[in-house]
Amino acid sequence: MPTYHLSETELSSWVNAIMATQPVIGPVAKKSRFVFDRLEDSADLRLDYDTTILPPKKAFFPPKQDLLHFDASGVRGAIKPESKVLFGVHPYDIKAIHMLDVLFAEGHPDHAYLANREATTIIGSSVQNHYQHAFFGTASPSVPVQGHDAFLTKIPDGYTLDILSEKGRKLIEGQNFKPASAEQTAASEKVNEDAKANCPEKLTYTSEEIKAKLKASWDSPLWEEASQDCFSCGSCNTTCSTCYCFDVQDTWNIDQKSGKRYRRWDACMTTEFAEVSVQGGTENFRETKAARYRHRMMRKAAYLNDKLGGPACVGCGRCSGACTADIANPVNFIDKLMKS
Amino acid sequence: MGKAKCAWFDFTSCEGCQIEMTNFGEPFLELLEHVQPVEFREAMSEKAEEIDVAFIEGSFSREADRARLEDIRKRAKIVVAYGACATSGGINALKNHQDREDYKEFVYGKDKDMPHLDTQEAKPISAAIKVDYEIRGCPISRDDFVNVVSQLLHGTEKVYIPSYPVCVECKLRETVCQYDQGGHCLGQIARAGCGAPCPADGIPCEACRGLIDHPNLEASVKVLKEKGKLPARWAESKARMFTANLLPDAKAD
Repeated sequence: MPTYHLSETELSSWVNAIMATQPVIGPVAKKSRFVFDRLEDSADLRLDYDTTILPPKKAFFPPKQDLLHFDASGVRGAIKPESKVLFGVHPYDIKAIHMLDVLFAEGHPDHAYLANREATTIIGSSVQNHYQHAFFGTASPSVPVQGHDAFLTKIPDGYTLDILSEKGRKLIEGQNFKPASAEQTAASEKVNEDAKANCPEKLTYTSEEIKAKLKASWDSPLWEEASQDCFSCGSCNTTCSTCYCFDVQDTWNIDQKSGKRYRRWDACMTTEFAEVSVQGGTENFRETKAARYRHRMMRKAAYLNDKLGGPACVGCGRCSGACTADIANPVNFIDKLMKS
Repeated sequence: MGKAKCAWFDFTSCEGCQIEMTNFGEPFLELLEHVQPVEFREAMSEKAEEIDVAFIEGSFSREADRARLEDIRKRAKIVVAYGACATSGGINALKNHQDREDYKEFVYGKDKDMPHLDTQEAKPISAAIKVDYEIRGCPISRDDFVNVVSQLLHGTEKVYIPSYPVCVECKLRETVCQYDQGGHCLGQIARAGCGAPCPADGIPCEACRGLIDHPNLEASVKVLKEKGKLPARWAESKARMFTANLLPDAKAD
């Protein structure tokens, strides 16, 4: 697939051209942080963002989403896929999205997810600034960056644009971009390699070593110790780019005749997550903070590895930053675990 | 589904939750299709013998109110305590941690010894009578109220109220964390269900809906001190604003 070169001006006129045909969701500033949001103006696009509060999966798997609407006449599906472009996704988040694609398609495929995902074109972007907790250079290195449609890399004299799929090719129809030179292509490769190497935090063990150690540490006193200050607030889950659990609730509308079924992102670190109905009441199968903390680490670094070709953690560092108790950071915990 | 006979009562409170209902506007009128008010001091003078659902606002802060509460309980099939005062004692319970003579003098001056001003610790309604359901918050939120009332009207046995903390709701609406802005917050231990409007408007959560089931209070004090930069004494009493009766040093039994 071809690689093009774009100047700053060509980039913004291209974004405007896409915005004229369909919604574009990209990183924009929000106070001291960034969020993926629908662009109102191409000038709001902040490709120099470090990371966003929530991962970009929200563009096709919203934090709260109506699944069904019902009234006396029947039940109707509420999923209405809309073509859109998710613009400026960092490589680690692209990896995470591909993991979700795999997980939502297996077993009983989640059509609500898949339909919205299918309608989304993803344009990746190189990391220009690192989030203070990023360790994507050493997280799941065996998992390729895949499933996106184009990739934009900031180089000293503009951008290179890799077109990676038919969906990506369609987006540049009518544009007159020049092919990138060998020097420009080499420069973009170096930018993306450097971004990995320059992560502020690093895992110093292989995924296999970490997985083996985790599995051998089921009864370790470390779980209790590490989760001492845990609030069970779930912020490490709700900001995670690979978490995909959700809760489903039915509610009545105020007319008491119609209603809806919706889902919202759930969090296995909260106490009610593992609460189930049993005869005569409820039972919680992960009652302690330590059991929940262990579960999260196992889910991220051991349980899903075979299915995903590597750990279900891409090193975005969002959990580390979102945890007010400062206990969620995977790099710190894994270091401690490996040395125990 | 016939109309449910509903009655509203208030005890020690600002009656702000009743006001909040009138703020609901149109949707609240729509609910009247399914609800028949049979007693509502603010709006009517009738008294009802039989009540399907009694909504009680305010805290139980005078022993003299016990008989009135027991009478409501006798007449009502379902009792719903609504608002922070009714469900936990609310802001009223702050006085539980102050000297009685001192606050009486401060508030009432020379009238402080009049018999009707003689109050006890502020307690939730459940300290006097059996409460079937609770709608929390200061004030209550519309969606929460409608949700609980809908479930009651449809005969749901166990009404679902979230037990996760406010952090979940802040994240889901992508609010910049107070701690990311050099502030402090009680969102990690505060019960959600409100939709986290305060932090979204830049106001720290004060836990007006009470605490989650197993709040990590030690960690909260630690984070308030270390990250929120609050002085120790303030960090230790911070969660008391709405939850004085829910903390280990509660004065009301």
